Amino acid sequence: MMRTIEILLVIVIITGAFTIASFFAVLPSPRQVSPINLRRLALTTMQTLDVDYDLSETVFKPPNDPAWAKLQVALSACLPPNIVYNMTVYEVLLTQEKLYNPTASISNAESLGIASDAASYLAASSNVTFNVIPEKIGEHGGGGTLYILNCSDANGWWITGYTAQKLASDLKNLLSRYFQATIMVQNTSQLRQILNKTSLQDEFLQNAVVINTFGECVPIPREYCKGHELEGEGYQSGVDYPYTKYCYTLGQKTRQYNWTWVSIVGYPLYYVSNTEIFANDNNTYGIYGMQKVYQGGINAFLQGLDNQQYRYDETIVAAGISGLVYLSSEVSYCCNYYGIYPSPYQTSTRALSTSIINNYNLTVPLYILNQVGSQIPGAVYRHIFKSDTNITGSFLALGLTRTPDIRLTALGLLSYYQPRLYASEYTVAGTSRLVILQLGQVGGV
Amino acid sequence: MTGSTIDHLVSVLVFLAAMLIFIGLFNQTIQTAILYQRHRYLATKCSDLLDNMLLNPGSPSNETFHWGKSNCTPTSFGLQDPEFTEYRLSPFSLMRLNSIAGTPVYYPKTGLHYSNITVGFGKFLLVPFNEVINYSTALTLLGISNSHGFQLAITPIVTVSITEVQPKPLKLAVNVKGTGFPLSNANISYCFLTVQATGAFPSYTVSYSTAYADNEGSALLSFPGVDGTKETYVLIVYAHLCGLVGVGYYEHVTNDQNYVVPFISDFGKREIIIAHSYDVHGGSNPAAIAYNATFVLLTEDFTLREMPMENSTGKVEKINYGEGKPYYTITIPTDNPGILVITYQKSAQDCGVVLMPWGISSMAFPITFGENPLAILTKEWVATDIRQVLVNNIAYQSKLSLWSTEGYPVVS
Repeated sequence: MMRTIEILLVIVIITGAFTIASFFAVLPSPRQVSPINLRRLALTTMQTLDVDYDLSETVFKPPNDPAWAKLQVALSACLPPNIVYNMTVYEVLLTQEKLYNPTASISNAESLGIASDAASYLAASSNVTFNVIPEKIGEHGGGGTLYILNCSDANGWWITGYTAQKLASDLKNLLSRYFQATIMVQNTSQLRQILNKTSLQDEFLQNAVVINTFGECVPIPREYCKGHELEGEGYQSGVDYPYTKYCYTLGQKTRQYNWTWVSIVGYPLYYVSNTEIFANDNNTYGIYGMQKVYQGGINAFLQGLDNQQYRYDETIVAAGISGLVYLSSEVSYCCNYYGIYPSPYQTSTRALSTSIINNYNLTVPLYILNQVGSQIPGAVYRHIFKSDTNITGSFLALGLTRTPDIRLTALGLLSYYQPRLYASEYTVAGTSRLVILQLGQVGGV
Repeated sequence: MTGSTIDHLVSVLVFLAAMLIFIGLFNQTIQTAILYQRHRYLATKCSDLLDNMLLNPGSPSNETFHWGKSNCTPTSFGLQDPEFTEYRLSPFSLMRLNSIAGTPVYYPKTGLHYSNITVGFGKFLLVPFNEVINYSTALTLLGISNSHGFQLAITPIVTVSITEVQPKPLKLAVNVKGTGFPLSNANISYCFLTVQATGAFPSYTVSYSTAYADNEGSALLSFPGVDGTKETYVLIVYAHLCGLVGVGYYEHVTNDQNYVVPFISDFGKREIIIAHSYDVHGGSNPAAIAYNATFVLLTEDFTLREMPMENSTGKVEKINYGEGKPYYTITIPTDNPGILVITYQKSAQDCGVVLMPWGISSMAFPITFGENPLAILTKEWVATDIRQVLVNNIAYQSKLSLWSTEGYPVVS
């Protein structure tokens, strides 16, 4: 009997142990067992909302600005319905007493449920984003205008994989901060205006840089075409490629306005393009809206640049270089200075001959790619008349094989003009907002 | 003595019975704890694996070559756009995933089966099986081939649905909503393509405009002068608000019996096959059709810009069905995402248009890759995790469902 009582006591003790163990061994809810990573969800939500810097712009606005309502709509729309949130924005201070000061908060629930997590995101003001300020080209000597040909009524050639418009957009992003004014020449009518010495937005037309993003092709305004008022400056009948004359006019304008004309790839000025005038003409490769100028285009341009009498000349002045060509040491140095890193070696099948230097009073102040024999794969050519010291027009030509790398164009121009970069002090106080997005789950267990 | 023995036996029996009961009870608690650990591990693994897929461009991937834009099988699996950091995915890598959402399509003239990411008539995306990354390859590349199964669903956050309200003059209702709530007061930019079939080959014109959604995320678009019953048109809508961008499309064709079907032929060379629908889906009253293919890019201001195709062969053709009648091949002229627009016509009255995204984000196509977690009943626990991602600036949500394939389920 005694043993049975002892066993019963043992059972009571074990039952007590089990009860106590069960009391402390609380089973987690399924949500805690297999949770959604709310921290990552919060971070990626803020990154998504800031893709076009909308979040960064909004957090600097006063709390009663309508942009906050839009932000809340977007936030509610992009999170799953069972997720509640609280977004709080803090101003970053420099005082030692207080580092962060809350400025605004939006939320869609009073509490964030039993489990929540948060992520932080530092939004910089659009006023202070860069800590380096470049010197503007032309700010000490006039000029400083960058014209980028972005004509919607022209087609490009040898820019395979891109459109001229896409290249124009990229060039603008790369170069506009270095120029006083960047003008996108949107159509051939605007091109006609600047060729006629009429500025588009009150910019300095003299000493400007004109980048032809159309590759081997160049847009031609209708006025220079056959049957129009400036036919004599753009068209010459009786020759195989009558629009060669237009390239002569471009050379003259480059000299008169002291422009730097930029050819980004291939054989310069090989075609002219106007999709309206040449709607039924193609370049024999299926691209309509253009006519061939052939190898005489560059000769005519250089004649105009050198103020020579125009003569139709189809002499070949560009040829291919076997093997690779390499960035010059000067340009390689500038890669680091300006933070632009194209491939240091390229292929060149349209390298200009050194013969043009003597024939057209040119000097080469900058080799973008090293000279190979008597061929120059990429350089800036400066025109100076004999017995004169003034520069009267420049020409940047990259005789590379398609597809174009416009970083080379940008780097070539920056290496030529060498705008300085000024480091500025960057401080986070007053220019940054700390955004905390806290997420919680509701519903279920 | 007898009483003592009986007492002894009873106490031993009671003790053993009690021990068995308590071992069972404790075992249940321990078992639950082990399950908790396993599930917790699975959730952590799910989160890690999702980050691994989304924050890694895969291999090979460098400045000049990326597996998503080629035909090669990657040596490591990752979907990040190699040109970006953070959660930005490559629209081309996603296009190479074998979708489980659509029924595969067989095209007899190439003898190949195609993964079907098509989202309705006229919105095709068909990728040959020999160029897609299949599920088992992904499992192997991720190092979980014998331990886990998964499903990755990448769906647009913003859904833009369009319905016809009135055919003449045409009025279309646009509704914009996110995964949670409507996108109230969203900016709406739209392109309206109308197909002309008056010449030997069809063509199209595009007009652009903008509108605003109301508080419910709805907008009514009117097109005076357009007869929705007789004209072939496509409406492409881009809705955007505070960084969220969504795409929707609606089309009406006057001929859906004979049309063209674009198949991706070669990712590396960007080649697209254009086939006659009768050779793919069969149908009634087959007839030869003329088509005109163009490629357009979406610009930052939500307008379409045509990109000329250098290879003119196959661009504008007349295509017939049946044996001995060839399909045509065109080359996409760029590595950038865009939309292939193919207008077709049987006659001046019977025409249509089909679209194919080059990079899934151009038309905000969703993609579901992997295995269906509901299809196999032996899955004891499925962990899920989600991230917001950007695919060429279009907002998507990526959801990974992960389960273990090891051991036996201990609870049903």
